[in-house]
Amino acid sequence: MSGSLHDVKNEMWMKAVVIGVVLLLAGFVAYGVFTVGVGDAKHHDYEVAKDEYEAAHHAKTIAEEEFYLAQSRWVNDGEPTEGHTWDEYVAAVSALDSAKAVDEEAHHDEIDAHLSYLTWTTLGKTLMVMMIFYSGFYIVAGFFNSIQPEEEHHHDHGDHEEHHGSASPILMAAGILLFMFGFSDFVTTSKAWLGLDYEAQIGGFMLAAVGTIILIIGIGNWWREDMKGSPEQVAVSDPFTGNDIRKAGMWIFLISEMMVFASFFSSYLRMRTEWCTQWALDAGTCTEQEFAEFGVTTASDLLRHDVMTLLPGAINTFALIISSYTIVLALKTAKDTNWKPSDNALMAKLFPTRKKTIRNYLLLTLGLGSLFIVLKLIEWSHLIAEGLTIDTQAGSIFYVATGAHGLHVFIGLLVMLFMIFKADSVGYDEKNGQGIEYFGLYWHFVDLAWVAIFPAFYLY
Amino acid sequence: MGEHKYTGPIAGIFQKLADVFKTDVYMVNFVILMIFTLFEVAAVFFTTIPGTDIEITRTAVWSILIGVGIIKGYGIAAFFMHLKGDPSIFTRTALFPVVFVALMLWGIGLSNPDSILGLPAWCSPVNDYSFVTN
Repeated sequence: MSGSLHDVKNEMWMKAVVIGVVLLLAGFVAYGVFTVGVGDAKHHDYEVAKDEYEAAHHAKTIAEEEFYLAQSRWVNDGEPTEGHTWDEYVAAVSALDSAKAVDEEAHHDEIDAHLSYLTWTTLGKTLMVMMIFYSGFYIVAGFFNSIQPEEEHHHDHGDHEEHHGSASPILMAAGILLFMFGFSDFVTTSKAWLGLDYEAQIGGFMLAAVGTIILIIGIGNWWREDMKGSPEQVAVSDPFTGNDIRKAGMWIFLISEMMVFASFFSSYLRMRTEWCTQWALDAGTCTEQEFAEFGVTTASDLLRHDVMTLLPGAINTFALIISSYTIVLALKTAKDTNWKPSDNALMAKLFPTRKKTIRNYLLLTLGLGSLFIVLKLIEWSHLIAEGLTIDTQAGSIFYVATGAHGLHVFIGLLVMLFMIFKADSVGYDEKNGQGIEYFGLYWHFVDLAWVAIFPAFYLY
Repeated sequence: MGEHKYTGPIAGIFQKLADVFKTDVYMVNFVILMIFTLFEVAAVFFTTIPGTDIEITRTAVWSILIGVGIIKGYGIAAFFMHLKGDPSIFTRTALFPVVFVALMLWGIGLSNPDSILGLPAWCSPVNDYSFVTN
């Protein structure tokens, strides 16, 4: 827990509930604007483009038939290079060429319209789901804490109070257990409610829902404990003697995470070294015939050669690096006892006080992390539309590895929600800034994992 | 944070750059990470070096991807994760799984494409199921 103690009134938690409601409304507004509003308009454009493509394709088929007819007339006439059949043949060639060009352009327009439609609808849906999660955390955890009995003030205890341990991890583990029990039914029921051909399994769904609520209450309890603060526990035995236990624990957790991502890389490498991909073909390690017969199209084949397809992955890379820097700045500000506002008027307005500066840096980190998730899902929707689905070998390893990474980002964002709330209420300073530092370790690790994932899955 | 002066062959370069530009090492690290990411993307995106006919070979792309990955990894771990400056036990903890990761990448990632069928006899299971009864 953090190194300084704070009096946290229950009313303060109601603020979390209010923020949660605002976020929920923002999510629905985003869905309404992007998915329903712009999405519908884009869907109309897509339908028009599809009709135009069908018409162009039909015109090309007719032009082909006329070409073959004119060609056979010309061949039967002895293949002269002048005269009536020759003129008809030349006109048919020209008509076919122009029909093919129109068909190709219409096809590109149809793909563009489809991808544009997917972009806007996915944007709205992703924002709505993210906001539901964000608001769920704020509303449930805030409400749970607001109805807790008030505890006596910490003033008289000073900073020498003993750490009492916490039941929150057990609550959270129980919540995850129940959630996992009902997870498969949760997925089936969600698919059924989304209109897919599945039968809803309410029992398992409810089990997962109860597990989620217990998980959030466990997290809420943890929030409450961390908000009030308690002295930092220090290791008294080797090898971490004299170091904060939380920091040691975080590093041990991170090395286990390293193994998780190493297993994804091993699987990918194992499959990739055997596949006949475009890269392998270009490098001469497999033949054209093998490629035609067993060729594998990877996500990177679909992404790396065009600015627009590579852009989301590249923006995400920059977003994670910038977010790593903003969290460093938040920690730096928390530790800086001589902090002063910038001389620059705009910066002074954006970062007026030390407390608000920390909060705003954390908000920036949250925004950049959310951008990462949004762009990732938009990119996925495009890849799925292009045929890279999870039931293909190349698709499964791509979605599992990048999905696991995305999940880590998302979990980090949920933790960030609390940190923003804490930064805005009791605030961070040189005494309790370790919370930002230890969370920062996790966030930088997620960035580090992306440093390996991006070249391996997007560029190679 | 920020007041610590970094030393050493690589961290010292970051510190010198920070001193030259009158900023801190975190800012220098951030700019280096951004520049190297651009470099990484450009290496794959362009087939020739822009403005020339010099082809960017597969070996060059591989070298750039691995080299840039190492530099970026170092920058994040050393400065953003404070391994440089923290007690060495944290660096040793972070490096602890490296040998297992390498074994996993070699043992699974780069293993014989025949998989278990290609294993030598001495480590193949005995496929004698005669003791199994229905």
